[in-house]
Order: sequence, then C-alpha cells, then structure tokens
Amino acid sequence: MEIHYRTIDGNSKGYYLLLLVLATFVVGGFVSVYLMCTRGIYLSGMTNRIPWGLQIIMAVFYIGLSAGSLVVSGLYGVFGKIEYKPFARIAAYLAMLFLIAGLLSIITDQGRIDRAFIQPFTHSNFSSMFSINPALYMGHIMICIIYLWALFKEKGKLTKVASVTVVLWALSVHTGTGGIFALTPRELYNSPLLPASFVAAALSSGAALMILVLVGLFRLTKRPLDDGLVIWLGRLLAVFIVLAMYVILIENGHRYYLIESREAARSFLFGGFHSVLFWFGLIIVGSIIPAILLFKRATGTSIPWILFSAILVVLGVMCERYLIVIPGQTYAPTLFPGMEVSGRFLEEGVVAYHITLLEVLQALGVFGIIGLAFALGLKVLDLLPTEARTQRRFSSAESGATGPAND
Amino acid sequence: MDRRDFLKTGGVLLAGTSGVYGLRVLTAPDVSKASDTGSAVRRRWGMVIDLNKCSPDCHVCLDACRQENNVALHGDKRWDIYWIRKVEIASKDPARSMEKSVPLLCNHCDNPPCVQVCPVQATYKRDDGIVVVDHHRCMGCRYCMIACPYNARYFNYKENHEWPNKEYPKRSHGVAESCTFCAHLLDQGRQPACVAACRQNGPGALYVGDLNDPQSDVSQLIADNTVKRLREDLGTEPKVYYIGL
Repeated sequence: MEIHYRTIDGNSKGYYLLLLVLATFVVGGFVSVYLMCTRGIYLSGMTNRIPWGLQIIMAVFYIGLSAGSLVVSGLYGVFGKIEYKPFARIAAYLAMLFLIAGLLSIITDQGRIDRAFIQPFTHSNFSSMFSINPALYMGHIMICIIYLWALFKEKGKLTKVASVTVVLWALSVHTGTGGIFALTPRELYNSPLLPASFVAAALSSGAALMILVLVGLFRLTKRPLDDGLVIWLGRLLAVFIVLAMYVILIENGHRYYLIESREAARSFLFGGFHSVLFWFGLIIVGSIIPAILLFKRATGTSIPWILFSAILVVLGVMCERYLIVIPGQTYAPTLFPGMEVSGRFLEEGVVAYHITLLEVLQALGVFGIIGLAFALGLKVLDLLPTEARTQRRFSSAESGATGPAND
Repeated sequence: MDRRDFLKTGGVLLAGTSGVYGLRVLTAPDVSKASDTGSAVRRRWGMVIDLNKCSPDCHVCLDACRQENNVALHGDKRWDIYWIRKVEIASKDPARSMEKSVPLLCNHCDNPPCVQVCPVQATYKRDDGIVVVDHHRCMGCRYCMIACPYNARYFNYKENHEWPNKEYPKRSHGVAESCTFCAHLLDQGRQPACVAACRQNGPGALYVGDLNDPQSDVSQLIADNTVKRLREDLGTEPKVYYIGL
C-alpha cells in the first residue's frame, strides 16, 4: 500500500496568525517563568499546604495525552490495522511533543530551575519516582524518535518492533506517573488503583484529542478522510471511556470503603467544589454522555457528534487530572483521628487552591512551544498524508497488505 | 541541516544522555542508609513533648526557633514557615472531653518518606537520625512536602529578608526546609532553641535526648509514661513522642 505524505503549504494568513499567537504564548510563558525564578513562586497560587499546582496538573495531562496518541499510532504498527497507517506519523510526532510538554511543565515548576538541569544527573535517587520517571520520559522520547524514523524510512520490521516497544514503554511511563501520587501517604493519593486509572484516563483523553486533531487537520488542509476511520476511532474511544470510568469509580469506592480514608473520600465525593467537578465534570459530562453518544448508532456514526464527544472527553479528563493533583493536598493527612484541629499560625483543615494569571501564562507558554513545534513540523516534515481511506479501498487497490512487515 | 541529519543528531544526543542516566541508575548509592556526617558518637536523637504542660497561649518555642534558625515570617499564612507550630485539638466525641495544644514539628522519622522521594538526595538522614536538607542541592520540586504525612515541610516561596542570627545561614527562595532539631547546637553539646526556651521561659514541656541511651531524659520519660507518636500506622517510625495525647 502506498501512502503519499505532503507537508502543508503554510503560507496562509491564518497559519501565520496561528504562529504569532503561539509565539505570544511563549513570550508570556518566559516572562512568567522569569518572574517566578527571580522573585519566588509565591506568584503562583501554590502555598505551603498546596505545593503542587497548575504546572503539575498540566504535566500529568500532557503525559496522559501522549499515551492515547501512541495507541492511535500503534494501531498500525502493533495491531496491524493497515488503514490507520496514514495516522501513524502524526500521532507519534504528537505523542513525542506531549511528552516534551509534560517535561517542560515539570521543569518550569521547580523552585530552582538552574539546578534542575544538573542535580538530577549528579545526585539522582532512584528510590524516588521523581528520579525514575524522568529516566522513563527520556527513554520514551528516544524510542519515539526511533519509531518516527522507522515510519519515515518505511522500515517495516523496525516499525513493528519500535511501535510495540513504544506502546509498552508508554504503559510504564504512565504507570510511573500515576505512581508519583499513589506512593505517597495521603488519603486521596495513596491507592494501588491510581496508576491504573491514570493509564485508563490517559488512553481516553489521548484518543479523543487525536480524533479532534486528525479531523481538524484533514478538514483545514482539505484532504480526504473517510468517515469510517473516525467512526471506528470513536468506538475505540467509547471503550476507553468505559474502562476509565470503571477504574476511577472502583478507585474512589475503595477509598470510601476504607475507614482511614473515608472522611477524606466523603469530603471529596459528596461535598464542595471537588465533588461537583467529579460527578458533573468527569463522570456525567466527561464520561457518561460521550459514552452514550459514541455507542448509540445514530450519533456514534455522525462526525459532528463524535467530535462533540471527543471535546467532552478531553474536558472530563482535564477535570480528572485536576482531581488527581489538588484534592489530595487540600485534605491534609489526618494526624489526630477523631479530633477537631484548628490553628492560628498556618492554614489547617481543608484549604483552597486559587490559580493565578502568571501560572496560566506559564502553562500557555508550554502549550505555545509544542504548538509551534507542531505547526512548524507540519510545514517541514512529511507528517500528514494526502488522504486517508478505509481498508476496503486500500484492499481493492492493493490486496494482501496486512501490516507493517509487509510494506 | 536536513531532516535526516536533525533526526540522527537528536537520536545520538538523547541516546548519550539516556546512557549516562542509565549508568547513574546502576551506580546510584542506597540513600536509605544514613550518610556519614562525621558524628563521633552513635546517637539517635528524639524528642518528648509533655502536652499536660503545654498551654495554648504559650509560643516561646516558636519564637526561639524563628530567632535561632532565621525562619521566614512573611505575614501571610500561605507562605509563612514554622519549623515548629502549634495546633489546638478537641475531641469530636462529646463524651470524651479532651482539648490539647500540640506542638508539631518534623518527626525526624527513622523511615523518612521525604528522604525516599527526594530526587536529588538533598534531603538526607544523618548518622544520629536527624533529617536535614542540603539547601545548596535542593531544586525545589516540593515532592518532600507531598510525601511528608506530618505537614512538617515548608517551602521558601519568597526571599527572606530577615536575618536575626548571623551565625546561622538563611535560605534563598526556591528551596524546601524543615526543623533540624537544631543539629548545629546539638553538635556543640547544646539544647535545641525550642527546648532551651521552653525550659527557661516556658513550662518545660519539651525534652530532647539520645533515644539509644537508656539513662537519657527522653528514654526515661518514654519508659515512665504512656506516650504516643503521630501516625505510627504508616511505619515511618517518628522520633517525636507525646505524653498526654
């Protein structure tokens, strides 16, 4: 099967406007990082009770997105679905960018960024998930590059090996990222199911974003894209949604069942802003509604409804990422069971986290960097195919093509 | 540079970096073991706090700690640092009337989660069991604050302009810190600032001593009283003992 790739022209006003907007984000991000480096990160919404904020939320969101992108990319290399080969390059490229965005979010969140480029290499501590994960991330980026190279060079066997490796590696990366939280003694973090729920949500958010990116790109560049491919991706997304919802509900049910974490789980699930975000944002809007829309024949075969569902899933997983990072900090570990605790020196009890403008600028800066890399990548690299057709059409054109090894 | 060269160069650079990193994995030291800090005597410092003597309106320990260790006070609860702070606890059960004023500080755990999670070994445990931070190595990731179940870790969100004790360093913004049991004073054979101040100007509720010495004040108090430690269920083996909790 022969697929033709072509760079985008990138000469339109819209394209240059997009570059300008993204570059503005990058400048804003640099200003924000500079201010926080020189004056201190009190300029963010973080406090001594909420030491991790928006950058960590965005880091886990980006890292999660990379998993879903890789699964879409791996549909061809791992599962031999030849009709998805046209998406393999762009999905792998995006997965790599998302991972870089995750790393950038973490690095720019450090109190001493200057040391973040030295100390982890000279004094690493591999009993810390914060040491293990960067090693996994860097390995992941490296394998992504090899995988991309194999895809570009049309190396059938290497593509197969690299895609299997990269998908398995991605699983360990995402399990490790979930482990950052799961292996700490806080009621709303400490759960062996958290890495699993992290992976499941990663798959659904990544697949949803890939649907949006692919349809958007093909439409914008006026390239033919068969609806059947998007519909099948929609069904895959629906399965991911159900899987993620199942693990997340079990994880929280487990927390609620255990006496030691029941109070925190009750506050999280049935009181205040976090419970609204959980039930309305994540479960209803981000999971149940899109799952119904995607499983229902009438809406599940309609591209606008699939796109709408994908948007809901991305929003739902953003809520989930917020709910992974923040509530575990707002509900402090219980030191005195059965006691009311108050104090006039520091914030005690349940505290709140308020995102500041500079934090938003910082996050937009990271988005701007990968946005620019993506937009420029489309212009200089052969990432996007001239068309994407279903297998039936490929088969009729060239019978016998079943996987990368046969290319 | 064309695309091929770019990919090749990128691959080689990343492979090299990952290789070096991989070597670090294989040769990483075991940080769970105490580092050699040159302590002459194998001591194991611990603290006993008698809550029956501690009153809510007394905070001489907090003031002495701040003065001795240049602990930052910015006038905002979100960023103020308290190596030792106090909370008031009251039983939720009306049948059990209990109200106490409890000093909280780093528990210098024998199995400290902060040491385990520090990605750059900036937090480490000395031979004598005191957990300290190397402020010149800390990169401010704040994972130790997440991992500490006692909320005893603080971050320098702002620059601290106060420097009352010029004999002790202050910390720049961007690094984490916590109580050191005034290790610099213990090493000179003196009492931590909070303990000394509590004896001189307070009720004398704080005791510090060698848990390995059965004759020390703290060992005697632990033997003679019913003592509790915070969140013993976590297996962190904290070394701050409370009487009357």
